[in-house]
Amino acid sequence: MNDTLPVDKWRAVAAATGPADRASAEEGVRLAYRLAGLPEPQEIRWADSPREAVELVKELTDQGRSVRDEVRTRPWADERRRVHDELGPGGWTAHWSATGAMLWDTTRALADRIRDGVTDGPEPDRARLVLLDAVLGQHDAAWLAAFDGRGDRLAGLAAVAEHAGWWWPYERVAVVCERPVELHRDEAGRLDRGDGPALAFADGFALYAWRGMPVPSDFPDELAALTPERIRAERNAELRRVMLEFYGYERYLAESNAQPVHRDETGVLWRIALADDEDVAMVEVVNSTPEPDGTYRTYWLRVPPETRTARQGVAWTFGLQPEEYRPLVET
Amino acid sequence: MYRQGDVLLVPAAEDAVPPHVKDRQGEPRDARGRLVLALGEVTGHAHAVPSRGRLVREPGPWGPLLLELPEGGRLVHEEHAPIALPKGWYRVVRQREYVPGAYRVVAD
Repeated sequence: MNDTLPVDKWRAVAAATGPADRASAEEGVRLAYRLAGLPEPQEIRWADSPREAVELVKELTDQGRSVRDEVRTRPWADERRRVHDELGPGGWTAHWSATGAMLWDTTRALADRIRDGVTDGPEPDRARLVLLDAVLGQHDAAWLAAFDGRGDRLAGLAAVAEHAGWWWPYERVAVVCERPVELHRDEAGRLDRGDGPALAFADGFALYAWRGMPVPSDFPDELAALTPERIRAERNAELRRVMLEFYGYERYLAESNAQPVHRDETGVLWRIALADDEDVAMVEVVNSTPEPDGTYRTYWLRVPPETRTARQGVAWTFGLQPEEYRPLVET
Repeated sequence: MYRQGDVLLVPAAEDAVPPHVKDRQGEPRDARGRLVLALGEVTGHAHAVPSRGRLVREPGPWGPLLLELPEGGRLVHEEHAPIALPKGWYRVVRQREYVPGAYRVVAD
């Protein structure tokens, strides 16, 4: 793929980890102030994570008022209006679909999770207020992708985003965050890791998740030591689902001596009864395109518990009735 | 109907496609000039159609995506064999998975 395209560049920015380029980020901060018609901040302070930044902001005494509106919101709104007028309503919609919209859902979800993580501590209301003043840096990638190459008005914001994480612009002080040191996501862009934090910053602020679902921080250790008995004993249905997925349905089925319920040309239907919960019904299907080594990958999809046949289950995964599902070609 | 991994294309009869869908402007093509039916957010791998045609986003019973191939075409993906498609209209369906109380889209 042509990696000079704005959307690809900003996709990488949104997912960037590792130490910030502090000199370039600070130059971006000063440029953003100048472009907003403001004097440069007298001081730029660094934090290792958004959580640490919030603590740092809470301790500031002479930072002056927040200039987030002047530095980010107004230039942004002006740019949006300008590009919108230039392209027309239909053109703007098409432009947004080809740029920002492609990054919007995943970066917004990530930013929401970070916000939840920051407010999940002492003084949540105070933290929430501080977060209102944040500029999301790398996680503003969707908007920055849409405006990339259309003028220099947002050059300062773009420079900070390319070189650092979230930041807080105040009249006299700017607080800037390092980027995460770890970020692990699944194919759908959701936070996902089974053997450690899915998102972690250098100061220890971390989020644990499995396929997007938040899990406790000691959960990875538990996953490493799972047994079918432990899975059956778990009372929290969501955590049990995660345990099952991590352990592997196939292995669980084998070790719990589960029997296939139904088999036809679309695949195999399996069922596991769980105490105090609905049954887990799964279809086992085989990918029709061989892997590079010539084998065919088997995968498992959970289907509604009332499913009675493999065909009904596979058809359900595509929103169809069993008699409607008749693929001519499958790859 | 044609299945490539987690995407199913269900042919739709020409006269069954609502006129307002036929009048709609299509989705923009990607940088490689393809119509992207579904994109893996992290890998960038895509179920895509490089052929002449139109992809219409349409919420409701006909949507969320309809594909028109006036001359037929080809469905490609980095990890799946390509599929030759006859000319006509198709509903684009993403595979989903059940989770208690809801369901989620599968992404490959």
